[in-house]
Formats: sequence, C-alpha cells, structure tokens
Amino acid sequence: MAAYARPVEKLITELSKLPSIGPRSAQRIAFHIIRGKTDDAFGLAEALREVKEKIKPCRRCFNLTEQDECGICRDPGRDASVICVVEDPYDIGPIERTAEYRGLYHVLGGALSPLDGVEPEDLRIAELVERVKNEGTKELVVATNPNTTGEATAMYISREVEDFPVRVTALASGLPVGGDLEYADEVTLGRAFAGRREI
Amino acid sequence: MTPHVRALRMVNFRGYADETALFAPGLNIAVGENAQGKTNLLEAISFALTGSSPRTSTDAETVRWDEDFTRVEGRIALGSDDGERSVAVGYAPGQKKRLTVDGASAKSLADYAAGGAGARVVTFFPDDIRIVKGAPSDRREFLDTLLSSLRPSYARAVGEYAKAVQQRNQLLRRIRDGFSSGKTLETWDRKVVELGTRLLEGRAGAIPPLDENFKRSMRALYGPEKAAVGYSYSATPEDYSEALKNAHSADVERGTTSVGPHRDDFEVSLDGVDLNIYGSQGQQRLATLALKFAARDHVRSETGEDPILLMDDVMSELDERRRDYLAEYFLESAQAIVSTTNLEYFEEGVIGRARVIRIYGGTISDTTSGGAGESGVG
Repeated sequence: MAAYARPVEKLITELSKLPSIGPRSAQRIAFHIIRGKTDDAFGLAEALREVKEKIKPCRRCFNLTEQDECGICRDPGRDASVICVVEDPYDIGPIERTAEYRGLYHVLGGALSPLDGVEPEDLRIAELVERVKNEGTKELVVATNPNTTGEATAMYISREVEDFPVRVTALASGLPVGGDLEYADEVTLGRAFAGRREI
Repeated sequence: MTPHVRALRMVNFRGYADETALFAPGLNIAVGENAQGKTNLLEAISFALTGSSPRTSTDAETVRWDEDFTRVEGRIALGSDDGERSVAVGYAPGQKKRLTVDGASAKSLADYAAGGAGARVVTFFPDDIRIVKGAPSDRREFLDTLLSSLRPSYARAVGEYAKAVQQRNQLLRRIRDGFSSGKTLETWDRKVVELGTRLLEGRAGAIPPLDENFKRSMRALYGPEKAAVGYSYSATPEDYSEALKNAHSADVERGTTSVGPHRDDFEVSLDGVDLNIYGSQGQQRLATLALKFAARDHVRSETGEDPILLMDDVMSELDERRRDYLAEYFLESAQAIVSTTNLEYFEEGVIGRARVIRIYGGTISDTTSGGAGESGVG
C-alpha cells in the first residue's frame, strides 16, 4: 500500500523525473506545493503548460522563441555575417550578457558523444552547413564547451564547412578576469600561455 | 633539509581505530609480526600525502570495518625554516574525498598528488613486482603515476585521453553494429591523437633519465650486467595519426582502439634479456626495487627535493650484502619509512641511527628508538 494518496504519489513521481531532483527532494517539493497557496500551484501548472504550448525552436538558429524566428534573428541591428555556435539555448544568455557579441547564433542541441549515442544527425549540424552556404556567413565562432565532447564537435564542424569561404574561430580559453595567477590550474594557465597576445 | 612526515594520525583507516605515529628524518623502521598493520601504516602515509592509496583504486576498502568514514592527517615538516604543514584526507563512501592543506580545501586531487600536499612519495610494496613481472598495463601505471606526481597537467591529460579513447571505442562499436555511419571517426582520431601526443611527450621525456638511473641502481643492487629500460611504441609519435587511420577497419571489427599510449609498453632488461619473460623471481624483485630508486632519482632531479620512501617488507628475500646496502641507502635518504617483521635485518649500528616504531594488533606502541630517535640524522 502506498504511503500517500494517489495524486500525491503521482506528483512526487513526476517531480522526481526532473534533473537533480531525487526522491527525497521530490517529496519535499510536493508537500511544499500541497501546503502552499492554491494560486501559486495553479500558476506553476499554467507556466508549465504555457511553456510547452508556446515555446518552440527558432526555425533559423534553434534558439527558443514564441514566434517562428527568435528575437535575435529578427533584429536588423545584428551582424548576420557572423554565427556563434553553441551547444544549448542556455549558452546564449551568458554570451548576450557580455554585450560584446553582435552576430547571430546557432544552437546545436548538444555535442557529439558516441557514449551517449549522439551522432552528427542528432545535432543541427546539417542545418548549420546549410546556413553557411545560403547566408554567405563570413565567420563561425564555435563556442562549444571546452571539454572532450565540445572540442570534438568543434573539430567536426570546422571540417564540415572547410569548402566554404568562412573563417572558423574558437573562443579563447584562459585566465578568469580578477583572479590571481597563483590560483589558476595548470591546464588553464597553459592554454592562456598558448593563446597569449601582443599588448 | 627536504620535507619529511613528522606525524601521522589514522582514524578508521583499515585496521586502525585511532592511532598516531611519529617519524624522524632519515630511516624509520616499522617493526611487527605479520598482519599487525605495518603495510596499512605505509599505505596511510601515502594516502595522506597523495590523496589516494597505492594499493587499491577502491577507496572504500580503506575504511575500517563497520565504520562509515576514514580520515588520515599528516604533519609535514617543510624545509629548515619553512615550518610545518598539516594535511588531511577524509573519505566517506559515496561522498567526495576531502583533501585539505592547512585547513583549506586542495584545488584538486591532481594538484594535491603532484606536490600540493608538500611532499611526494615513492612506494614499494611486495606486490609491485608486477611492474616487471606483470602486464603492460602495470608498467604504464607505474610511469603514469610517476609523471602525474611531477605535473598535475599530465594527470589531467591521462584522464582526458582515457575519455577520448572511450568515446572512440564506443563509436567503433556503433559503426560495427550499424548505429553510426562513422562520419565522426576522423574527428575522434584527431582528438585522441591530440591528447595521446601529450602522454607520449611526457613519457618520452622521462624514459632516458629513468633508464640511466635504473642502470646505476641495478649496478649497485644486482651486479655489473647491463640493465636497461626501453620504451616500445604501438605507434611512434611521427606515425601516430597514420597508424590510427590504418587501424580503422581492424578497430571497427574489434570495437577497441589498437594503437596509442594506452597500448604501449616498456621493457626492463638485463644483458639484453627481457626480465618480464626470462627474469628469475629474485631478478624481478631487484629490478622492481631499482625502478623505484630510479623513480626517486627522477623526482629528485625534477623537483630538487627527495621524495619520501615508503618501503614495505623490502628486506626479506635479500642477502646480507644487499640488506646492508639498502640500510645505508635509507639512512642517507631525506626520509625512508621501512617495514619489517625482523629487526635483525638491520645491524645494531643502523638501528642506533634509526627510529623504531613497534606495531602490534593495530596499535602503535609508544615510539621507541634504538638510540638517536627524533634527532635522527638530519
């Protein structure tokens, strides 16, 4: 026999499907919702429904949007000759907050990883190549994560577009600003050395 | 004076409930009958100084039976005026290991093991004979552990390389089983070569000095026969990319990557004879010891500091001449902690210059010394 009424069990089960929520956290959140205001619970339910009904990938860059094309793709002030390639939509936020970048984006939807069964067909790489071909892109800034799968993905993309007149760059990796040299790990410091520049 | 461990406290470590041992510079002899905790003491020192056990990759094994955590604390005397550093390694199964230096969290296990704790170690356990006698993986592990203790970036490259090879192997199997077209194989080849090359460069730099040190140690320990350590590549650095490419169809069939540093080996030979195959037990044991001494010399020349020697039951199976040689060697070391069942393996004059630690049934009796004690041979 279940310890709780069926709707409660159901809520706990659904919550525990979320990332980094274990059974105990799921139970705590479920009881928080049950104890809380009805309006708050309905608000959450409505927000979940709305996001699933209204949000879809941008048909051009696969960023998330309520319309066919996302705000960045529709913005005439952006430099359409540069595309920054990221793994996930949530990678766009940090780059936008820098206010350093005025080009467009392309969201791959992950990184190549045979261990996770991720092949080029599972990512929007073909769509990226198509964009480079059709949009006359001058530069691809590959901003995949600086780990094994992200770097392999970057390598693969640079191969895929090598027949087009497009410059492929990668973000520099190096020292955090405001940090002390003495606290940098060797790999980061080593890369910062390799990527040193004239001042 | 180079760093040495002054004190070690073990809480719930293997057979120890809560024991503290004090050490002196120079030779320390841990004496006790079999199965009283000598090996565990040496393991604990290594655990405290490098963050992991040289005997097992399963940390949970080090936790005392029926307890839920282990903690080992060490006090390391640094150079003459640099004072002391306290380090601690705590581990509870299922949780992240906690490494602290003077109370502050260590940056990473790689940094901690590569001198971050304040001292490096070179260990000898009787089972280490597999470096000479055993499989190529045992020899690679010896090399990689040594190089990682010198540079954390090497340890990271080892980890990254293993990940890339794992990805490539999975891709090979997916191609074989029809789940992948293999379009990305070339990409993973490049990634594997990029990371594997860092390993090859590290190892290539270490083999010539190791060979030279090994020759010298074998002359002293064994005899005038010509000893050598030689690296054997599954693919040389120049041909690495090409070899990986040529292996494509065979690799797909087997589902594993057949060339690269994870398939390399090094040969330990005496007068041109491979000791792995033709060595006697005695030759293999001495060659293992000579490799450890070669590792110590390499650490010394790379860092300018003597590593701490942790030698388990090293005196048994040796004749008197060699025991005397080793005793002198340890006395002249910055610090050597040597376990034995039989104190008579050491001459009285040696015992008089050493610190003697008696171990019985998981307890360390008040550290008695044969004479000089803490003042030792500084």
